[in-house]
Amino acid sequence: MKTLLGLTVANVKSLVRDRAALFWTIFFPIMFVFLFGWIFGGGGDTRISVGFVDQDGTAVSASLRQAFAAVPLLTLQDGTLDAEKAAMQHGDVSAVIVIPKGLQAALVQTRSGHPASVAIQLYGDPSQNQTTQVVQGAVAQVANGFNLEAQGGSAILTVSRESLQSTNLSNVAYLVPSILAMALMQLGVFAAIPLVQQREKGILKRIGATPLPRWKLVGSNILLRLMVAVVDAVLILGIGIVFFNVQIVGSLPASAGVVLLGATTFLAIGFMLASFLKTEEQATGVVQVVQIPMMFLSGIFFSFDFLPGFLQTVARLMPLTYLGDAMRQVMVNGTQVAPLGVDLAVLTGWLVVCLAISARSFRWE
Amino acid sequence: MTQSGEPVIRVADLRKCYGEVKAVDGVSFEVARGEVFGMLGPNGAGKTTTIEVLEGLRAPDSGTVTVFGLDVVHHPEAIKQRIGVQLQSVSLYPRLTVTELLDLFGSFFSHHLPTKQLIDAVDLGDRAKARSMNLSGGQQQRLSIALALVNDPELVFLDEPTTGLDPQARRSLWDLIKGLQEKGKSVMLTTHYMEEATELCDRVAIMDHGHILEMGSVPDLIGRRFKERAVFFDSAPKLPVDQLAGLAGVTRAAREDGQTVLYSKDVPGTIGALLSTADGLNVEPHNLGIRQATLEDVFLDLTGRALRD
Repeated sequence: MKTLLGLTVANVKSLVRDRAALFWTIFFPIMFVFLFGWIFGGGGDTRISVGFVDQDGTAVSASLRQAFAAVPLLTLQDGTLDAEKAAMQHGDVSAVIVIPKGLQAALVQTRSGHPASVAIQLYGDPSQNQTTQVVQGAVAQVANGFNLEAQGGSAILTVSRESLQSTNLSNVAYLVPSILAMALMQLGVFAAIPLVQQREKGILKRIGATPLPRWKLVGSNILLRLMVAVVDAVLILGIGIVFFNVQIVGSLPASAGVVLLGATTFLAIGFMLASFLKTEEQATGVVQVVQIPMMFLSGIFFSFDFLPGFLQTVARLMPLTYLGDAMRQVMVNGTQVAPLGVDLAVLTGWLVVCLAISARSFRWE
Repeated sequence: MTQSGEPVIRVADLRKCYGEVKAVDGVSFEVARGEVFGMLGPNGAGKTTTIEVLEGLRAPDSGTVTVFGLDVVHHPEAIKQRIGVQLQSVSLYPRLTVTELLDLFGSFFSHHLPTKQLIDAVDLGDRAKARSMNLSGGQQQRLSIALALVNDPELVFLDEPTTGLDPQARRSLWDLIKGLQEKGKSVMLTTHYMEEATELCDRVAIMDHGHILEMGSVPDLIGRRFKERAVFFDSAPKLPVDQLAGLAGVTRAAREDGQTVLYSKDVPGTIGALLSTADGLNVEPHNLGIRQATLEDVFLDLTGRALRD
């Protein structure tokens, strides 16, 4: 145990003193959290998809729809109330605006001297406060405009707010677990580089000439990476919670379990890569070839529903797709790519296969 | 050289192939306790493969290999506790310091020497806190030897310990290695520097193409092949080689690198005869000198090529 710990400490020191490695394993994912947090969290320059439900179905409600469509921030998606609420729960829209029946009637009544009013219902997700406020502001503006134009300021339209938990693919709550998944992927895949380096430099061989059992050498590498995984998880989730108001709704043990399974799976992939790579240069190149497509295709930054069919097929083969999905399901109740059980099974499958290949093919020199 | 009891290394008919290549092809030798034994040969001779089999890093294809009387295939862990290993050109965890590396390697053994003592033994006191990547070549080799001594081993393997070092760093390492023998350790080293083998080794095995060609102490190896010493000189005009070959004590006369070389069993007689012959022809020999044959000559004679090809 003491030797295992000593070796792990040696590995930690090597990592901490290697600025490039430190950047990739810790600062790079953090950079992503901030970058995407700012882009999707606070930004006013992204359009927000909003469900539009017209229950009035009159010329007046149609003109109101035009007014909403003219708001540059919003993209309207028409449908029935049930359909749009479902869409919001699936993350396809961020909010739902409902124009109730009786709008035209209320206008006619008001004009004939009997003031009447109807309330626009706005379904927003309180956990995505910024988006909801943007939509609410837009709705209030449109309602005011309508009231002014219609009858000199008399309030025909009011706004009532309803809460509805949603998952929005373009928001930080979706991104934070995704970025954590990406960080774990990189952590594991990048582990191939120091392994190849240590083999190329003869360090593995030199240690092989001491009585140290090999499992301890491997074990210390795994321990190091799992420790970094925990650090990554704490930092990334912490930043999400503190800076971007992300609410982690899942259970802590389940989240930790998925983090560890993901880290171990990608570590096994790293070990497998190290089994076949001979030089450090090769390793650096191949690791990028493996990690970059996964980063962009696995639904980490955007739902892969947007991808063309064949790329979706590719994405469905990638372990990161399932880690990201599992992470979002467990942490923020995200929409599913696959049921959680399938995610975990796929990850475990990758883990077992890569471990078996590594055990057969890993060379110490 | 003190030789007593069971040899620390015993190798009988060791063979090891890499695919088609027979790296080691039927090698047998023994190393006595307290002996410094050297394997001399060009790159690719099979030295490193042999030493790595002894260190338990490679399995032999066939043959019997024992260290401390233990079979290397069946008892590698027990052997590794008692040997010290320095591999050819290893850079160790570049970002760890000298002290950290020695502490770490010490922890791999059931018993180990204090780090401070090791650092002093290899004279790295002022670099104790330096990262290994920042050490000079000679300092790295010294660290590498300190790491080999961390478990106070009975037998130390040094694979080309001075390759790539400047002459001064090489000399200081030689002193270090001689010190090991004085402490009663057995040493097996490989080298392709014949001066190194001459300077350090009690016995030398000359290896080429996976075979041991000749084995013995350096004076023995030279004496076995070269009974004569060489008398060499320049002259203008050149004296006829045929005539010189008939001088007293001369077994062979030749021109080498522009010099005339006489191999002689009776150096004073040869020089006397040479001077009077030259005088008779009215020629004066310049740069007259005598030299002993060297390991290099032995190697050349054995293989027909120079060591550092």
